[in-house]
Amino acid sequence: MVPALALTVDGMREAGARAQGGRFIVLFDPNRLIAAIARSGDRAAFAALFDHFAPRVKGLLMRGGAPAELAEEVAQETLLAVWRKAALFDPAKASASTWIATIARNLRIDIARREKRSRLSQVYEILDEEAPEQPDATLSGAERDARVRAAMTQLSPDQYRVVELAFLEGFSHQDVADRLAIPLGTVKSRLRLALSHLRGRLEDLR
Amino acid sequence: MSIMHRPSEETLAAFAAGQLDEGLAVVVACHIEADPESRRRLRELEAVQGALLDKVEPVAMAAGPRDAGSVARTAPASGMAGPSPEAGMLQVLRPYGLGPWRPIGVRIAMRRVEVPGAGARVFMLRAGPGIALPHHKHTGFEWTTILAGAYEHEYGRYAAGDFDEADSEHDHTPRVDPVEGCTCIVAMTGHVQLQGWLGRLLQPLVRF
Repeated sequence: MVPALALTVDGMREAGARAQGGRFIVLFDPNRLIAAIARSGDRAAFAALFDHFAPRVKGLLMRGGAPAELAEEVAQETLLAVWRKAALFDPAKASASTWIATIARNLRIDIARREKRSRLSQVYEILDEEAPEQPDATLSGAERDARVRAAMTQLSPDQYRVVELAFLEGFSHQDVADRLAIPLGTVKSRLRLALSHLRGRLEDLR
Repeated sequence: MSIMHRPSEETLAAFAAGQLDEGLAVVVACHIEADPESRRRLRELEAVQGALLDKVEPVAMAAGPRDAGSVARTAPASGMAGPSPEAGMLQVLRPYGLGPWRPIGVRIAMRRVEVPGAGARVFMLRAGPGIALPHHKHTGFEWTTILAGAYEHEYGRYAAGDFDEADSEHDHTPRVDPVEGCTCIVAMTGHVQLQGWLGRLLQPLVRF
């Protein structure tokens, strides 16, 4: 609907411009928008991030089986957390999309398990904040994200669907097989292929 | 610490997706905190979720953004505040209450880990050197992260940081390291059938 935000499938590129319909349109650059919020509480930057990410967070949750109402609430809360935590975002550690996806995951846990007094989101935050990466990892978080994203575009639609179900929804292989009405062995071989493809792309740089 | 046993790809993906029962997730988190390699794999799975977020079909929001102006922004972090409640304890256990160690036999003690949101029962077990843990069968999962020392069973030796992912197909009798003993954290789902004298001692406790 909004041409300026119609991203290529492999997502966030560096800030730049491309010709479209004879004009130059600046590509959506979430890192810059998050930095603007961190620096000066830039409301316009927040509105742009909201317009881009809130419907995607909602879509991702609904894709994972969440009811629309819950997905909407998590999307609202996620973007508010982006506003609050903008200064904590480190582009070297992860891409904006990955950062926002983990915030959404933690908030979904908080909201969905509220009555159960869950503390699980704190566990994820502790792991994120306190557990350093392997010291000899030569791949920065941003590079890793870019590679994962590039590798994902090379998956076949079948592999992509298996990865989506297994990763996003944490299904067991048997659940995925049932959902897609394909044999368990096919799920396992597709997932194995997809993962070895993804991991292979990541190994290259290590 | 050289970690040999890690969660399956399936388990780590479920953890990354936030879909595991909280009790099982806590035991996985204990392993991840101890193992840089699993942390790296977790970051990769989170990057996959970021990529899925980029590619997902957007669903229009029913409402526009809430007024962010009224929400305070956080200052940059300067490290986490506060020491861990108990020296040597894993950081990921900070949100949870721990019961007292209670002896449940000769040179074997148990303490409850209070995970209010969990379906699984979570506890720590500390056993003296050379003890054979009760031979048991169960109907659900029994996931263990070794916190100190080691044990060994037919699938190998499990030392500090290792993750032991057993399900109902397993039927094993861990033997505790003859020198170091073993302390571990366990999450169990389903029903456990313990055998032998120690099993009968443990039975009422694992069913708390």
